[in-house]
Amino acid sequence: MKPPPLVQSSVRIFDLSLGQMLWSRRSVFLGVLLGGPVLLALALRIVSTLYEAGFRINGVRAAGASIFGMMIWLLYLRFIVPILGVFYGTALIADEVDDKTITYLFTRPIPRRAVLFGKFLAYLACTVLLVLPSVMLVFFLVVPTGGGSIGAAFPSLVGDFGMLIAGLAAYGAVFAFVGTRVKRPLIVGLVFSFGWEPTVLLLPGYLKRLTVAYYLQALVKHEMPQDSAVSVLMQVFREVPSVAASLVCLAAIVAGTLWLSGRAVENREYVLEQ
Amino acid sequence: MPIHDQGYRRYGGDKAPRGQAWMVIARNGIRHMLGKRAFLGLLLLSWFPFFVRAVQIYAAANLPQAAFLAPTPETFRQFLDQQQIFVFFVTVYVGAGLIANDRRANALQIYLSKPLTRSEYVFGKLAILMTFLLIVTWLPAIVLLIVQLAFAGNFTFLRNNIFLFPAITVFAFIQVTLVATAMLALSSLSNSSRYVGILYSAVIFFTQAIYGVLFAVTRSTSFSWISFPANLAQIGDVIFRLPPKYETPWLVSLLVIAGVIAASGLVLERRVRGVEIVT
Repeated sequence: MKPPPLVQSSVRIFDLSLGQMLWSRRSVFLGVLLGGPVLLALALRIVSTLYEAGFRINGVRAAGASIFGMMIWLLYLRFIVPILGVFYGTALIADEVDDKTITYLFTRPIPRRAVLFGKFLAYLACTVLLVLPSVMLVFFLVVPTGGGSIGAAFPSLVGDFGMLIAGLAAYGAVFAFVGTRVKRPLIVGLVFSFGWEPTVLLLPGYLKRLTVAYYLQALVKHEMPQDSAVSVLMQVFREVPSVAASLVCLAAIVAGTLWLSGRAVENREYVLEQ
Repeated sequence: MPIHDQGYRRYGGDKAPRGQAWMVIARNGIRHMLGKRAFLGLLLLSWFPFFVRAVQIYAAANLPQAAFLAPTPETFRQFLDQQQIFVFFVTVYVGAGLIANDRRANALQIYLSKPLTRSEYVFGKLAILMTFLLIVTWLPAIVLLIVQLAFAGNFTFLRNNIFLFPAITVFAFIQVTLVATAMLALSSLSNSSRYVGILYSAVIFFTQAIYGVLFAVTRSTSFSWISFPANLAQIGDVIFRLPPKYETPWLVSLLVIAGVIAASGLVLERRVRGVEIVT
């Protein structure tokens, strides 16, 4: 009998995994993580409404759009997107191995890589479905403060959505690869996201091209915040590739790492601990 | 075919005095971690800043041109600050699975069916993490102090900064206790060490990010108590007699740290039980 094609099998796994991902205890974590910025935005909105003077940065009243930009940089881009990538990406295969359920998936008459691709699609759908509403709520809460206009800032929100989807896809694919190849993927993922990337982005030279953040930051239209000495230094050494080049590189990262992880899943023998 | 006696046999070994069983857990845990080459690599890497600082002290002591590199109390404070990234990775590597793996394997019931109390179990696990964290923080800082004495060939620096030894010790122990208890509490909340690792990262980086936003919006550091690392930094500055970095009163930072330790203790008390009551 001919096995079902890769796309069809991936869609099957996607169907199966999406429900599991959305209705798991992990979603609680995701909810807390994404609810944090919304609560913060709500608090900022309340304070801004109560105090006529609003927020002031260097004596000038801060516009809501610039506060929203800061939140995109500090909360979503530097923290939420990488951590979701590490959390879900490394778990795509590793969780099945830990739970000793990978055998059930691998004994189905589908290509092994379809398991990974389907789970990756489910991860992307799950995180996008949860991250984008959170960003949208933050946008509507924060932008009107300080006399900001929602209409004027709306095109940037659409751009932010695209950037966040690209980031979730790229980080997810990179860490899916890590999860299929490395025994302790979490440590490698954390070292990459919170050790390698911030360090290399501070250095002049070409090393920063070996990060996802370098390409992702080029897609952000908001001004980089200067909340610490590290941020100032980062801005000094910041090189911004063109949007087209960044998109091509991010697409190449997603395609390359997914292909490599698919190959790893096909070839690797997963020995389950007894 | 020999037939072995399957009947009851009395325990022939020595009876350990009460209250020392935690040492067995700690010893085994430490030995287990030291058997991992990747972890040894991480420990080795965490000593790299020590070697850089040692070279700095050597240059300052022996080369007149490099006198500007002479160590000050701030050097030791900065050194402990730099070690934070290694503290984070060692905590996740060692601590995430300490209780979570036992819960996953249903080993908690087996542990607690032995002559071992819950507090001994927790102390044993805590000792594993604290040992490695002290190897990364307290030990290199103290050795650095000794290196300074050796390279300078006199006690002038130590005499002028006699508070450094207690400062390093107190700060390292506060940091290690806070980090270890928080991680152990998180580890007791889940069966998956990966989930625990992510939770811990979220606690560290998310609180820092929230504080970052509040600072960017208000340009005031009075919200630093929200951030886990900022509280430690504030206390560290006070202990090292340096001007505090944030506007938050140090007592508030200390209260937050004490609160986190107390909350972690409470979580451990609730979660580390031989029998799980399902309602």
